Parts: sequence; structure tokens; C-alpha cells
Amino acid sequence: MANLLNRVSFLERKLNALKYQLELNESYPDVFSAKLKEKSQKKVEELKEKESHELLKLEIDALDNPAYLKYMTEEQLNQLEQSYDLKKRQTITSYYRKTGQNQTSEVLEDDLKKIHSTYEQQQKAMLDAYGQRQYTKETLSANRQKYASAEKAHLERIAIYEKHLEEFNQKKLDDLKSSLNQKKEVLKSKIQSIESKLKAYQASTQGKQHLKTELPEDVILRIDHLTMQFGGLKAVDDLSFDVKRGEIFGLIGPNGAGKTTVFNCITQFYKATEGNMYYRTRLSDVITLNHVKVHDVIKQGIVRTFQNVELIWELSILDNMLVGAHSKYRSKFFDHSFQTRRFKREESIIRAKAIKILSDLGLLPYQHFYPLGLPYGVLKKIELARTLMTNPSLIILDEPAAGLNDLETEQLAHTIKKIQKEYDTTIFLVEHDMGLVMSICDTICAISFGKKLAIGTPQVIQKDPVVQQAYLGGE
Amino acid sequence: MKLKYTPKHTGFKQFRLKMKTWTNHPYFPILVLGFFLILIQMIGSTGLIRPSLLNFLSPVLIRYMVSLGFLLLLGYAGLASLGTAGFMGLGSYMIGYLFQTSGMPAELAFLVGIAVSLGLGVMVGFISLRVEGMYLAIVTLGLAEILKNFFTYSPLTGATDGMRLQFIKFLGITSSNTVVYNPINYIIMVLMVLVMIWMVNIINSPTGRAMLSIKNSTSAAQAMGISIMKYRLSAFLIATMLAVMGGMLGMLRTTTSFPGTWGIDLSLNVLAAVVIGGTKNIWGVLIGTFIVFGLKDLVLARIPFFQTFSNAHLMFSGALIILVVMFYPGGVIRALEDIKRLIIKLYTKILTSWKEYTYGKSVE
Repeated sequence: MANLLNRVSFLERKLNALKYQLELNESYPDVFSAKLKEKSQKKVEELKEKESHELLKLEIDALDNPAYLKYMTEEQLNQLEQSYDLKKRQTITSYYRKTGQNQTSEVLEDDLKKIHSTYEQQQKAMLDAYGQRQYTKETLSANRQKYASAEKAHLERIAIYEKHLEEFNQKKLDDLKSSLNQKKEVLKSKIQSIESKLKAYQASTQGKQHLKTELPEDVILRIDHLTMQFGGLKAVDDLSFDVKRGEIFGLIGPNGAGKTTVFNCITQFYKATEGNMYYRTRLSDVITLNHVKVHDVIKQGIVRTFQNVELIWELSILDNMLVGAHSKYRSKFFDHSFQTRRFKREESIIRAKAIKILSDLGLLPYQHFYPLGLPYGVLKKIELARTLMTNPSLIILDEPAAGLNDLETEQLAHTIKKIQKEYDTTIFLVEHDMGLVMSICDTICAISFGKKLAIGTPQVIQKDPVVQQAYLGGE
Repeated sequence: MKLKYTPKHTGFKQFRLKMKTWTNHPYFPILVLGFFLILIQMIGSTGLIRPSLLNFLSPVLIRYMVSLGFLLLLGYAGLASLGTAGFMGLGSYMIGYLFQTSGMPAELAFLVGIAVSLGLGVMVGFISLRVEGMYLAIVTLGLAEILKNFFTYSPLTGATDGMRLQFIKFLGITSSNTVVYNPINYIIMVLMVLVMIWMVNIINSPTGRAMLSIKNSTSAAQAMGISIMKYRLSAFLIATMLAVMGGMLGMLRTTTSFPGTWGIDLSLNVLAAVVIGGTKNIWGVLIGTFIVFGLKDLVLARIPFFQTFSNAHLMFSGALIILVVMFYPGGVIRALEDIKRLIIKLYTKILTSWKEYTYGKSVE
């Protein structure tokens, strides 16, 4: 029986991996085509840059005489004037320093006059030098025609080049797509065979079937008589409740009620003393979380945040997002050491996804920053964004509004609702801020000293006398 | 007046921009370094550079390779090991023993050494990495002491006299005591370049990021699906492998090995090189290695004080560690960056004051 279950779980893992590979294959062409577009744009820019030298010469030739004179001498005249100005100032300051007084005299005036005359001479010489070109009307019009035809040819060439590049890119993309399609067929056939095998096994595994019928279809997480004991202290005492798929579930309670302990039990940071936690995966199989390892919890689709932001301080925000997708990487240590094509492809896909999520939450300006020194509200938001990297089906938020001001809390409520809607997830949160909890949660569970007080909609909880007593300390 | 077509860059500037895509690649400086090292070796081996000056280079490069493994362990996985010298000694004695007594070709012995290092690393790692804290340092310290005593008293390693081989042949290169310009140095340089590229690849991959996240926050790392044991162990394995490889390359170069070389001071020197250079930067570690291992032969050996007290260079690196940890936790590489910024600041200040002097303060 146990052997059979092992076999089934092995097959399921394989099935998951294959499905993920299929997903990657489907999202790669978009990333690839964006890359190709960038590359071809760069090439076109290069061509424009290269041809602009020739065109500039023709354009100058096609200018009429006064415009030519102005264009050629404008910059140099400016330079001359600047140098004249500097020289004037230099003589004045040196003269003042020599005499020790800030007064003009005849000697200084003479010097300045000399400098001015040389400046005028230089100016005249320059204008004479560039004024020598005297094109007649005929040559000018011929030059203009030459320039116009050259420009036309240039634009045509660029258009042809662009078209050629586009065709080339399309061909490359088609090649990629066809090869991916072939792979897809192979993957699909593999998936089908595994699924048929699984079906055969599932008919004979009754334990699993039993669990499946026990848990209602719309429940994603069931806490069943959970008890957590630290020595003589019962932090969580015989707690049980259900979290439904797609809702925002809030867990509230006074300080020290054991809310964070419940979270740590679910994510296996603590091993529960008694009781079970049943969880429905994306494939709608039911598993008990009790025997899952801490770092495997995320593979089942459960991601958590922490009460005090736990970001990686030595990595940039974008790299932090990539750490969030760590469990999604299929490339192994070998690929990392030699930077194989497989790894590079995977990295580019995941990077594109991280950038998309960051821009969704309005965090894109921070992508190359390091977390140290960013505002606390932004850090909380980044931690929230990091959880989305693995397409989780259950997000566990540990006091998301702790340490935020009113405006930031309002924004956070908006963000949480948006995430729940757009990313099709269930959100389970612990919070002290009653305003936030009452405004966004669909169901609330109130606990005190590890025991459940009440469960229901926000209106029910607000009116519940037991909850009021626990919070306000009696009548 | 502006015209329609204005080329942005011309001539040399355009060429430089084109080259930038090459020079910005992380492999570029590594390959340039390797090229220059091999060039120096080639020029030197014609007789232009004294052998005593040339021969100081490759031991430092071997220790640099070992330090790179330690960089991954300390700077990325946040662990410290004090068994580096023990592992290096193990490598050097093992390849010598396998070549001399069992007649195994040195190439095969090299691979056997790497396999043994991996096995030993897994064993030590599984024992010591399960527990949080500095247990790895304690266990590796004990192991290094055991190994050192084994080298000193066992007849297999030649006891206190050390192991002296007549010759050793590796990849067609025969080295012995009498060879002056040893061509094995080329192999050491090529291997160093490969190891550097490997390190850069690991650092910029999910593996490197996972190690850094474990160092920063174990709970966040676990919540993101990073197995702590796996990545700590792999960092330790890489460090062990590179240490054993360094020891073997040393044996291939000098064909002699003495138990006194593989004491705790060598492990501490490797630690010092990484800390002084900068714990997260391979170029910083290069500078650190040259300060700790190269300075002794190149500069300090000419000062009379250091000649009379043979171990005084340890004092020098100890003082450097204190200075770096107190004033520059980022290491020498960070200090260099700061100095560069300071020079630029000073330059602009001097320029503005000179302008003020010649042209006067106020604009008329």
C-alpha cells in the first residue's frame, strides 16, 4: 500500500514537471520575439548611423551660400568669443593681483584693446576663409537634387533592410515554434500516458480516494484539531476551520493568541504536536501537509510572507524576485556552472515574468535598487510581489499592514484585492488592523489563547459578544 | 543651426562603442588576465626574467584558486572552514603516493583525488552542517589537526622528512627538482582562468542567489523552496574540491611536500586573503591573495626585520585583517573604489580653484 502511494506520488511529481515544461515552452516564443525585435532595432540604428556620415556631406553641399557660411562658422565663432572672453578676464585678474588694487589704468586699457583687435582679425579671417565657396544657382540645384535622391535611396534601403530583418525574425520564430511544437507533441503523449497510469493506480488506492470524498470540493485548506505545544504551554489548542477556494480569509486575535504559530504550523516551520492539515493542490488532489518538508511546501502552491520583511539584503529587487521563483527552476547545477542554453532560456522567461509582476504592482522603478534604505511600505509590497512568482494557489500573509501608515494601508488593501482577482489565488492573512480586515476579508476567524472564539463574515464577528469581550476585556 | 543628419559618433569613438559589448562581458577581464599571465610566463621562460622572481607567481595562483572556493563558502554561503590546509596537504600527499607506490598515471590520480575530496566533503558536511552555528569550523579544525598529525608521523607520507619524488609526469610534462622553468605553470594558469569563469557563472546563477539568501535569512530561503542543507553542502564541496586540487597542483609543480607546510597558519592565511580582499568579489580576493601570499616573497623578504623573524609576515597580515574589519568591512576592493572616487573629487576641486585663480571669482 505504502509502496503504491510512493509510486503514485512519484508519477504525480513527474506529471507536474512535464506540465511546467509545457507551460515554459508556450511562453518562450513571446520572450524570444521581443529579444529579436530589440536586436533588429539596434541593427537598423547602426545602419542609419553609418549612412548619416555620407548624407551629412551631401546636405552641407546642398545648402545655399549664407546658410552654408552660418553653419560652418557658427560654432567656431562661439568658441573664439569664449576664448576672447577668458583671455580678457585673465589679463584683468593678473593685473589686479600685480598692483594689489581693483582699479583700471591706461596700461590695462591698452592691453585690452590689443586683445580685442586680434580677436576681430581672427573673426574676419575665419569669415573670409569660409566665404570663399560661391556656388551658382545651377550647381546648387544640382546638388540639391543629388541630396534628395541620396536621401530617398537611403530611406528605401532602410525600409528594405527592415523588411528583410522582419522576414528573417519571422523565419527564426517559425523555426522555434515548429521545434517547440514537436516537443509539445512528445510532452503531451508522455503526459497522457502518465495520466492513464495514474488513473489505473487511483482506482486501487483507497486511502486517497477516501480523503478526496471527505474534503468538500470548494475547500482549499482544512485545519483539523490542530494543537501546538511548547513544553507546558499550548500556543494553539484544538483549532479547526476551513479556508474556501478564492476567498480572502482573515485570522484575528489579541497579542499572543497564537496566530503566527498557526502559520508556522501550516508552512511546516513548526511540526504540529497533534492534528492534521489537509490541502487541495492545483491538480485537486488532497494531501496532508504534516509530512511535507519546509522547502517543499512552496512546490505544493503555498507561499508565505513574514511579519518582519525577510528580503535578501545583498541582492537587488529583481534578483529577489528571481529567488522567489527558485522552486520553478528546472535547470540543475550543471546548467548553472556552464551557463547552458537551457538555463539561459529559462532565466530569460522567468526574468520577463518578474518584470511583468513588478510593473503590475508599480514597482518597476525600483528593480535595480537594493532593499536597504527603501521605504517600509515598498519593502512590504516587494515581499508580496515575490510570492506571486510561483503562481501560488494559497498566499499566506503575516501581518501585511504592520508598520504602514493609513495611506499605505489603503493602497495595500487595494493591491491584495487586485492580486486575489487577477492571479486567481486564495489569500489567508493575519492582521491587527481591524479596518483592513473588515474591509477586505470574506470570512474571519477570531482566536484567543489558541482557541477558536468565532468564525463568520465580518458583520457576524463585529457583533459577536465573545469576540468583543476578548478584545475589550468584558463589559 | 542644426542639420537633419548629424552622426552621433565618428571614428575612434564609434569603434570604442562597438567594443563595449565585448569589454562589458564578465569573462573579458578574466581572459585578459589569463592572457597576460601566460605572456609573462612565455617571456620569462626564455631567460629574460629571473627564475626566483617567476617562480613566486604560480604558488600564489594556486592559493588564489583555493581562496576562490573559500570565497564561495564565506561570502556566499556564510560558512567558515579551518581545514583548508589539511585538505591541500591531503591532495598533495595523495597524488604523490598514488604516483610513486602504486604506479598510477598522474592524470588518473588527479581524478581519484577529486573523487576522494568530494566523498570526504560529503561526510564532513553531513556531520557538521546539520547544526546551526560555527560547527563546520570546529569539525574541520579537528580534521585538519588529525590530518597534520597523520602527515607528521605516518610512514606512508615520509613522516617528518616529507615526501620527495624523483619526478612526476602529468599530461606529458615532466617536472622534478632540477627543472627551472616548469611548463606545468601553463596548466595552472589555464585551470585558474577556468575556475574563475566557473565562479562567475555560479555567482550569477540561481545557485549563487540561493546561497546568498541562506546567508541573509534562513527562514525566507526555506519559504522560497531553497533546501538549506543542499546549498550549504554544495558550497562546502566546491571549497573542499578546490583545496584538494590546489594541493595536487602544488605537488605536481614542486614534487616535494613537507608536513610543516600544512599547518593551521595556511588555513588562516586563506581566510585572511578572502577577508582582506573583499568577501564577495573575485577580483578583491585576487588582490587579497597577492597581499597575503605574494608580498612575503616579493617585498617583505628584502626587509631585514622580516628576514630575521621568518614568521613576522603573519603579524603583517594579522594587522591588515584588523584594519580591514574595523574600517573597511567590504575589503580592499571597496577601499580602492573609494580611493578612485576621492581622486575624482580632488581633481575637480583643484580644477575649479585653478580657474578661480586665473580668471577671477566674479563674472563681469
